[in-house]
Amino acid sequence: MILRTPPPKKQRSETRDPGSLLVASSDLPLVIYEDPPSAAPPPQPSSGEHLLCTYQCRQMVKSDFFDALSCAEKQVDDYQSRSKALEENFSKVEAERKQILDRFLDSEQELAAAKGREQALQEQLLKEVNDFQERFKKQIQSQSELEVKLRNEMNLRLKADASKASAEEKASIFERKLSNLSESIEKEKKRLHNEIELLERDSKLSVSRKSADLERMECRAINAEEESGLLKEQLEDLKKQLTECMHQKSEVEKKLSSFTFQEASSTDSNILVKHLQEELRNYESEVREARKLRSSRENIELLKEKLSEEKGRRERAEGELSKLHEFQMSMKKLEDELSSWKLMIKEIPGVSCSEDIPVKFAALQKEVIDCMMKEGDANARLKQMEVALDAVQSGKHIAETEAAFAKEKAEESKSEVKRIEVMLSMITEERDKLRDLVNEFKRLKNDEAGDETVSGTLIQELESSLAKKESCIKGLESSLHEQKKVNTRQSEEIKLLNERLNNEARRIKSLERESDRLRSEISLLESKLGHGDYSSANTKVLRMVNTLAVDNEAKQTIEALQNELQKTKEKLQAVEELRSQSGNAGKLVDSYISGKVVQLKEQIATLEKREERYKTVFADRISVFRRACCELFGYKIVMDEHQRANGIPVTRFTLQSIYAQGDDEKLEFEYESGNTIILANDYTSQPEISHQVDIFIRKLNSIPAFTANLTVESFNRRTLS
Amino acid sequence: MASRTVAKDIITLRGSAAIVSEFFGYAANSILYNRGVYPEESFAKVKKYGLPMLLTQDEGVKSFIASLTAQLSEWLESGKLQRIVLVIMSKATNEVLERWNFSIETDGEVVEKGVSREKSDKEIMREIQAIMRQIASSITYLPCLDEPCVFDVLAYTDKDVAIPFTWIESDPKLIANPQMVKLHSFDTKIHKVDTLVSYKNDEWDEQ
Repeated sequence: MILRTPPPKKQRSETRDPGSLLVASSDLPLVIYEDPPSAAPPPQPSSGEHLLCTYQCRQMVKSDFFDALSCAEKQVDDYQSRSKALEENFSKVEAERKQILDRFLDSEQELAAAKGREQALQEQLLKEVNDFQERFKKQIQSQSELEVKLRNEMNLRLKADASKASAEEKASIFERKLSNLSESIEKEKKRLHNEIELLERDSKLSVSRKSADLERMECRAINAEEESGLLKEQLEDLKKQLTECMHQKSEVEKKLSSFTFQEASSTDSNILVKHLQEELRNYESEVREARKLRSSRENIELLKEKLSEEKGRRERAEGELSKLHEFQMSMKKLEDELSSWKLMIKEIPGVSCSEDIPVKFAALQKEVIDCMMKEGDANARLKQMEVALDAVQSGKHIAETEAAFAKEKAEESKSEVKRIEVMLSMITEERDKLRDLVNEFKRLKNDEAGDETVSGTLIQELESSLAKKESCIKGLESSLHEQKKVNTRQSEEIKLLNERLNNEARRIKSLERESDRLRSEISLLESKLGHGDYSSANTKVLRMVNTLAVDNEAKQTIEALQNELQKTKEKLQAVEELRSQSGNAGKLVDSYISGKVVQLKEQIATLEKREERYKTVFADRISVFRRACCELFGYKIVMDEHQRANGIPVTRFTLQSIYAQGDDEKLEFEYESGNTIILANDYTSQPEISHQVDIFIRKLNSIPAFTANLTVESFNRRTLS
Repeated sequence: MASRTVAKDIITLRGSAAIVSEFFGYAANSILYNRGVYPEESFAKVKKYGLPMLLTQDEGVKSFIASLTAQLSEWLESGKLQRIVLVIMSKATNEVLERWNFSIETDGEVVEKGVSREKSDKEIMREIQAIMRQIASSITYLPCLDEPCVFDVLAYTDKDVAIPFTWIESDPKLIANPQMVKLHSFDTKIHKVDTLVSYKNDEWDEQ
């Protein structure tokens, strides 16, 4: 603000300047200008001399004054316009300052918000870092456990590899043995083939030989038969001759005996004797031949028997030939089976002989089962690995998204920081502009003495506000710098955490695989448990002998046996008592026994008497009953027991009316289990009687009515007759 | 609100063996009743484990189960019993239709040193009650036993156990390709009993 009150005027007496201007003032008296004396010393004026002026001076002064006034007025106008402009500028600056202040406040708010967000981010990051650290620790622990398990599994795997190698070695050994076995089998097979061929040839040869022998024997038999026939004829002839010769011999002997008494030597008798001796010899030779024939006949019979035997053998050989064909077929089948088994054995390693096959099969089955188990475990582990991989990948994605989100937040905070920097730069520019304006304003205001103090205070205030803003801006810059450092640190930590996340993701996958494997093992064990499997090395299965599955008959037999045992025990006790009672002599036992026998006999006698008495009484009573029935109902009843053709015993009643006119008039009834049936006979076949039977028995079903009617009719007949 | 502390009872080896053998006796009776091995009228109701339990009145079955539980208790006290299996078989064909498997885990320290454990009796009873309820509800999923059946009990013991004269070694009477259902378990802190039933696949289910 330009001061209106000018500074106090300096007095002329004190200073006189030739070129000093006069300032029009309403209050101050008019001071006339005079040329300054150059050399003359100033006269000593009186009090009114300075007010003296000439007319010219007055006019000159007046014109000068007016010029000065106009100039001053112009200057005042200029100054006023300038002040107005300055005021406008000031208002603008004020407005700008307000805007800047508002912006500053907004920026402060945003800064505070950004700080709050940064704090929240930091807290989140700290929480995440703590979580990650905890997870990291857990996963380190699990990793150590897994490493231990991995080592164990590696050892197991090495053992399995070693066992596999040993099994392969064994397999190779067994394959060699199998090849040797197959070679030996082939050799044996060849040998068997050769033997079979030889046997076949031998059998053929033997068959041919036997057939030839048979033929020979047949021929021989035929010839022998023919010879035997001839020999038989000869034998018969010889026998006849023999008998004749014997007869002649006897006659000759008689003659000889008669001739011996005669001492007459005659040549004829000698000749006859010789002839007879020759005939004897011939006959003896013929007898010998006959005996030979007989022996040959016996030989023939033996030959026949042998022939029959040979025939039988031939038949057997033919049968065996046919069987040989069958055996050959079966041999071929066996060979085919052998070849197939050989192929099977080749496929299955580890077999040296047929006995080893089942054992090796069992061992192989066990190995197969173990391998299947291991394969299943490996598959389960693979699946676990895959599942854990997927889970950790998802975790990794989540962590990456979180890291990206954190990065975005950091970038946002960075952008906000940049914005704040830009705003700061803008504010500094405006501040510089304001400073320039203020300096200009200062310069302008220096010319005008009255407003200088006012502008100076304004400038001081502006400078103070500017200084405050500068300090605020510096603070903001420092906070920005710190934030940048924090952001860089956080980004580095995020990178480290990402790396850790990746590692832990892998560990999580392996853990999950392990857990799935353990779950599968548990399920397998539970299935085994449920199935009832057990280790025979540690466990044995027992059951009670006396189960309820035993039949009740066994219990009953046991009970029966126990009862019999008790009875035998009682008998034994009785016998022992008897023995103890009869300790010394058998006489006491005999007397006791005889006494018992007498008692029993007496009892028997009394019982028999009673029986006879009952029988007589019964007979009396039954005869009385029968007589009474006869007189009351008019029929004599005779009861007999008969048997039907099918063997069933039946009671037969024969009724004869007391009014019957003949013995033929008898009714016969058969009684069986409450049913009475009338039997047909000559009497009931009569028309009258049959008519009554039809009416009373068959239609009315009443035997008493029939008998009563018959009684009445026979009574009427009797009385009428 | 004041916290309720559960009172714990001291469990000894003998007590635990008695609890387990008694449980098996009641469980066997329940199975025989629910599976219809014996007629319903041959069972009488008693109160046990907070439930109405059915016990057979057949003297033969009673004596069989009594002698069985006595031997099981002896083996449990010596820690030699691993498993008890109640087998239900067809009377005509002797084919195994169901296996009720009771696996037993024994605390070796208790058997060796004779120490005792603490657990609430009520808690044990509650666990047993749950198993009994499951046995009763098993008829909803087990196949019907339409033919006359008999039962037998197998005991899986350690190899070094001396066989009593009323017992003999037996085959495990397994079922080929069984269906299995795992039931609850109970724990006396000395003996832990797991229950599992395996049964022959029903032809209708296979279809």
